[in-house]
Amino acid sequence: MSTPALDLLDVSKDFGRIIALRKVALRVELGEFVSILGRNGAGKTTLLNIISGISKPSSGKVELFGSDPSDTVNKSKLAVISHEMFLYGNLTAIENLEYYARIYKVPNMKERIESLLHSVELTHRRFDLVNTYSRGMTQRLTIARALLHEPQLLLLDEPFTGLDQHAIGMLTKLLLEQKRQGRTILLTTHDLHIASELSDRYVIIEKHQITHNGPMKDTSPEAIRKKYFSIDTEVATA
Amino acid sequence: MRAALAILKKDLQMEFRSKESILAMWIFSLLIFVIFNFTFEVSRLVMLEIAPGLLWVAFIFSGMFGLNHSFAIEKENGNLRSMALMPVDGGQIYIGKFLSVTSIMLMFEILIFPIFVIFYDLQLSLQMLMLIPVILAGTIGFTSLGTILSAVSVHTRNQQILLSLLLWPLVSPIVIWSVNLTGVIINGEITASFYPLLIRVVAFDVIFFTLAYMLFDFILED
Amino acid sequence: MRSRIDKILLTILLIAFLVSLYLVFLWVPQIKASNVSEQIAQKIFYYHVPSAWLGFLAFFIVFVASVAYLWKRERKYELISVASAEIGVLFITLVLITGPIWAKPVWGIWWTWDARLTSSLILWLIYVAFLMLRRYLPDGSKRANLSAVVGILGFVDVPIVYYSIRWWETQHPKAVMASSEGSLAAPMFIAFMFTLATFTLLYIFLMKKRYQLLVLEDQVNKQFKEMELL
Ligand SMILES: Nc1ncnc2c1ncn2[C@@H]1O[C@H](COP(=O)(O)OP(=O)(O)OP(=O)(O)O)[C@@H](O)[C@H]1O
Ligand SMILES: [Mg+2]
Repeated sequence: MSTPALDLLDVSKDFGRIIALRKVALRVELGEFVSILGRNGAGKTTLLNIISGISKPSSGKVELFGSDPSDTVNKSKLAVISHEMFLYGNLTAIENLEYYARIYKVPNMKERIESLLHSVELTHRRFDLVNTYSRGMTQRLTIARALLHEPQLLLLDEPFTGLDQHAIGMLTKLLLEQKRQGRTILLTTHDLHIASELSDRYVIIEKHQITHNGPMKDTSPEAIRKKYFSIDTEVATA
Repeated sequence: MRAALAILKKDLQMEFRSKESILAMWIFSLLIFVIFNFTFEVSRLVMLEIAPGLLWVAFIFSGMFGLNHSFAIEKENGNLRSMALMPVDGGQIYIGKFLSVTSIMLMFEILIFPIFVIFYDLQLSLQMLMLIPVILAGTIGFTSLGTILSAVSVHTRNQQILLSLLLWPLVSPIVIWSVNLTGVIINGEITASFYPLLIRVVAFDVIFFTLAYMLFDFILED
Repeated sequence: MRSRIDKILLTILLIAFLVSLYLVFLWVPQIKASNVSEQIAQKIFYYHVPSAWLGFLAFFIVFVASVAYLWKRERKYELISVASAEIGVLFITLVLITGPIWAKPVWGIWWTWDARLTSSLILWLIYVAFLMLRRYLPDGSKRANLSAVVGILGFVDVPIVYYSIRWWETQHPKAVMASSEGSLAAPMFIAFMFTLATFTLLYIFLMKKRYQLLVLEDQVNKQFKEMELL
C-alpha cells in the first residue's frame, strides 16, 4: 500500500482543562474526498488544525504524506480555508494574492493570479481594497488565495458559510475540479447534502471521538441526519 | 529572505496606505516635546540635560505605534494562523516583521529629529554624526525585542497595555544606554568610555535578535 | 496532601528561622554605628541579601523550566516555571520592602533612583509582567509557549539589567562581607550563610507546595471534564 495522504494515530488534544479530541484515528488516501461531520464543539476544527500543523496534538501521532505536518515540504502542499479569511483588508485583491504568491513561490505569478481571479469572478474588483468587499466576495477571494499554490491537500472548514447559491455552485465546481486533478480534500460542513454530493467518505465526530467512518455511497443525507443529528423530537416539538 | 521581504513589502504597502495615521503619530511626538516643556519649567541648561531622554521618549512612542500595529493587523483576519501555515520558518517571519517595524520607527525618527534640533536649538556639529550609529543601535534593540513581544501580547485581550508591561522593563537597559550615549554626543565630548558602551548596546541587539529569531517558531504554533 | 515530608520540612524551617533570628540579633556582635536605629537596620542585610539571591535562583529556575518546556512540551515544566516565578516575585518583593526600611535610617530616604535599586525594581517588573501575561491568556499550549518565551527572554535580561549599573555609580553597599575587619566577618559570615540556607529551604518548601497545588488544580479540572463527558 502506498503512503496515505494523511495518517492519524490515537490523536488526543486538550486545551489545558478542556478536552477537544480523544484518541482519534483516521487514514485518508491520496485523492480521497472526506467529509467530517459533527455537532458544534465536537472537535472538527481542532482536528483540521492538528492536521495542518497549527496545533500540536497533546498525544498521538500525525503524518502528512509520510512525514511530520510541520515539515516545510508539507506546508507548501497544504491549503486551509476556514471562516478566517487570511487576507488583509487594507490591501487590494491583487496585492493580497501577490503577497501569498511570493511567500509560496508561485511560478508565473501574474498569469496564475489573473486566472484564479477569473474563476472566482472577481476580476472586475481586483484593484479594490478587500475591506470594501461583501462577505461572499471575501470568501471567494479566500478560495482563490488557497488554491494559488496548487495545494495537494485541502482542508476546508465550513467553506460554504456566507456564500450565495451561485457562489456555492462555483465553489462546488472548483472543488470537483480539484478532486479530478487528484487532490486530497477534507471538508467539514453542516450541510449534509453538499457533503454527500462531493465526498467519497464521511466521518462523524461525536463527543470528541470518531464514532463512524464509512463510504458515502452506502447512505443518504437523510439517513445521516436521522442517525446522528436528529434532535430529540420531544424537544423539537415542545 | 524572500519571505521576509514579502512581509516587509506587504507591511509597508499597508502602512503607507493610511498616511493620516503616520501624520497623527508625528504630531503626537511633537506634542511630547511641547507638553514636557509646559510641565517642567526649567532653565535651558537643565533642559539640555533632559533633552536626550525626551528625544528617546518620543522615539519610543513612535516605536510603540508601529509595534502595536504590527501584529494587530496580523491577528485581524486570522493571518497569524496563516503565518503558521506558511512553508517558511518562524525566523523568516520574525525578520520580515522586524524589518517593517524597524523601518517605520526609523522613518519616524528621521521626522522627529529635525524638530528636536529646532526646539532645543542644538548646534549641529560633526560629532552629531555619531548619533546615527547610536540611534540605529538603540532602535534595533527596541524593535528586536518589541517585535517578538508584540507577537506575544497580541494573543491577549489587552494587547497594548501588555506590550508595554513586557517590553519596557526588558528593553530599559538598552534605552538607558542609548539615552546616555545620546547625551554624551549632544552635551559633551565623546570620551574613551563612549565606544565600549556603544559596542555593548550592539552586542545586546545581537543577543536579543538571535534569541527572538530562534524562539519565534514557538510563538506561531498553537 | 499534608505528607510526612512536608511536616518534617516545615518543622525544620520553623527551627531554622528561630535559630537564624538568634544568630542575627543576639549572637553576631553589633556593628559600630552612629546610632541605635542604624545598628538595628544593619540586621536587615541578613534577610535582604538572601532574598535577592533566592529571587535570582527562582528566576533561573523559571528560565530552565521554560527551556525544558519548549524542548519536551510537558505540562510539569510549565507548572514549575509558574511556581518559581511567583515565588521569585515574592522574594524580590521582600528585597524591595527591606531595602527602603534599611535605607530610611541610614541614607535618610526611602528610595533613590540608584542603579541597583532601579535594576531590582525592573527585575521585579519583568516577572510581574510574566505573571500578568499568563493571567491574560486562556489556559492551553499557546499560553505555555508564550510564557516560556518570555521566561527565557526575561532571564537573559537579568544580567543585563544588573550589568547596567556599571555605567552609573551606585550608592548601594557592595559586598559587605569583604570588610577588612576580619574578626567581625567570621560570625557575620556564619549567620549570613545560615540564613541563606534557611531561605533556600524555604524556597524549596514553597516550590514543592505550590507545584503540588497546581497539579492538584489540574487533576480536579480534569475530573470535572470527565464528569461532563458522561
Ligand atoms: N483555542 C482553544 N482554547 C480552548 N478551547 C478550545 C480551543 N479551541 C477549541 N476549543 C474547545 O474544543 C472543543 C472542540 O472545538 P472545535 O472548534 O474543534 O469544534 P467544532 O467541531 O469545529 O465546532 P463547530 O461546528 O462549532 O465549528 C470545544 O469544546 C471548544 O470549546
Ligand atoms: Mg469549527
